[in-house]
This record gives sequence, structure tokens and C-alpha cells, in this order.
Amino acid sequence: MIFQCGDLERALRTPDLMPDARAHAERCDECRMQLSLWTEISRLAPALHEEWESPDLWPRIRATLASEPPRAVRGRWRVHWALAIAAMVVLAVVLVTPRQSAPGTSRELLTDSALEQVQQAETAYAKSIANLAAVAGPQLERSPSPLAAAYREKLLMLDSAIAELKSTAAQNPYNAHLRTELASLYSEKKRTLQEWMNDAKRK
Amino acid sequence: MGAFEQLYRAHGARLKSVAYHTAGNRQDAEDAVQETFLKAYRGINGFAGASSIGTWLCRICINACYDLVRKRKLEAERAEPREPRGAPQPQPALRAQLDQALARIDPRRRMVFLLFAVEGMKHSEIATILEIPEGTSKAWLFEAKRELQRVLTEKRP
Repeated sequence: MIFQCGDLERALRTPDLMPDARAHAERCDECRMQLSLWTEISRLAPALHEEWESPDLWPRIRATLASEPPRAVRGRWRVHWALAIAAMVVLAVVLVTPRQSAPGTSRELLTDSALEQVQQAETAYAKSIANLAAVAGPQLERSPSPLAAAYREKLLMLDSAIAELKSTAAQNPYNAHLRTELASLYSEKKRTLQEWMNDAKRK
Repeated sequence: MGAFEQLYRAHGARLKSVAYHTAGNRQDAEDAVQETFLKAYRGINGFAGASSIGTWLCRICINACYDLVRKRKLEAERAEPREPRGAPQPQPALRAQLDQALARIDPRRRMVFLLFAVEGMKHSEIATILEIPEGTSKAWLFEAKRELQRVLTEKRP
């Protein structure tokens, strides 16, 4: 092709035309300058990455995060689990109600009973998720794909959140809100593991 | 908290650089990064997992920067002019020119250029962060470079 100055813009968009553009630039000062500047911009750009030491930044962030209340769980799972746990508590109340009329039975016993059922359900659920993780885990750990890395990061976050919430719930075992939050995190972990297994199967 | 520290170690440097170029100085960049981790902590359950956590954090960081820039603009309108925070760094000539030229181009194209050419992200990641099609990211990168070329040519004697 006979390359002209007006073709330079098209050549910059189309790598195939670059040899022609370079050949033309040998003879044309203006195009040579434009072409050289184009290359310089790309070459110099990574040098604009700005890095500096900020030893106080992470301690500042950590202090801010530490002052935050336990994480609020949003989304449909929160609703589903709130309903499921509420139903479980109602069921426990109904089952224990005849005993309530008996003299000497305290309200605390009712709460204890409901709590025990919730804890049993929670343990069973956590166990089933651990089984799922045992199936999904090895492949997830081995996979070098960016998608697997994203799932690994998310599971790491969820495990950290679960551990944190479990420790808070252990200090305040009768707090139904914390139990709901915990159930929601377990559910999110289960969903994440299932999503990974589905994605892994498709590939 | 341990997981968040790992995230900070892995992604903090890039977030600070993106924030620096968006907010304009180091102090505001650090404030934006702090805000990013706070928002991520509060919203971790909203993270879909379809993109990487780095991409997700970058998106939060850019939004935090935009909020901060708006806040600073309002403060500047209300207050007396003040010295910019953070000492300017000595810069080699063309790098400094490119830095200044970058501040003069269209903000959306600048962001694509920053993420792609400066921070080395892929167009697919940029598309997720900025919620634009991948083709638009490529087109804006080209236009950013053309704009930079034009601005740098104007500056040259």
C-alpha cells in the first residue's frame, strides 16, 4: 500500500499496518515524531506507578475495622436463614410449651432448648459444608486459573468472617441475630463451594 | 482481620497508586485506601466472586476516590486556598510531562490508561471495574493515548 500521513491514525489502531507506518516514518519527520511519541507514552506509563512507604496505613485500617460492629449480612440468604431459624425457634417453643405450664419451669429453659436445637442444626450444617469443602478443596487448591484464585480468596474471607462471628457468638450464645448472621455466612460458603464445583465442571 | 491484612499486603500498593492518580496526593490516596477496606469489610457479603477480589477492591477504591475528590472540591470552595498535601517528588522531565498531560485528558479515558498502561491490568478486568464493555475499554485506551500525544505535542516548543 502507499502509506500517507493520513493513514497513521489507522495504523496505530491496526498492528498489521505498523510496518508500513514505520517505513513511511523513515521519510517523514512529522510521522516519525508522532510514532516515537506513541511508543514513548507506552514505554513510560509503568513509571507513573506511584509507590511509597506508609507504615501507619495498615495499623490505621486495622483500628478502623476493629471498631466496626459485627458485619451485617445482606441479601436473600439472610432472609431465608432468618425465616428458617425463626421457624426452628417457633417449633422448639411449640414442642416445649406443655412443660411451660408445669410449676418451676423457667423461661430460660425454653431458650436453652431452642438454642440447643439451633446449635445442633448449625453443627450438622457446618459438617455438611466441611464435607463439601473436602470434595471441592483439592481441585480448587491445585487450579492455577484466576477464577480459582478468586474463589480461594473469597473462601478465605468467609472462613475468617465465620471464625470471627463464631467467637462473638460463643460469648453471647443467646443472641439470635448473631446466629442468623453465622448461618448466613455458612450458607454463603456452601453456595461459593457449589458455584466453584459447577464452574470447574463446565471447564 | 487476618484475611484483610493479606488483602492489604497483596493489593494495597496498586490501590494506593490508583488512588494517588485519582485523588491527586498521597494523603488523600491513603484516606481512600482506608475507606476502601472499610467498605469492603462492611460489604464482603455483597462480593459475588465472579471477579477477583483485587478487581472488586479497585472498583471500591475508585469510587472512594471520586467521593473524596468531590468532598475536597466542596471544601476548597468553602475554605481559603491551601498548600497541597504531600511534598511533590522530583521527576525526570518526560515522565513529569506525561504525568501532567494525564491530568488534562478526559477522566474516563485517563482511568482506562491508568489501569491498563500504568497498573498493568487487563481489559477484561478494567471492563468489570468500570462497568463498560471490553471493546469500550480498548477504544478509550487508544483515545487516551491519542489525547496524551496531542497534549504532549502542544507542550513541546
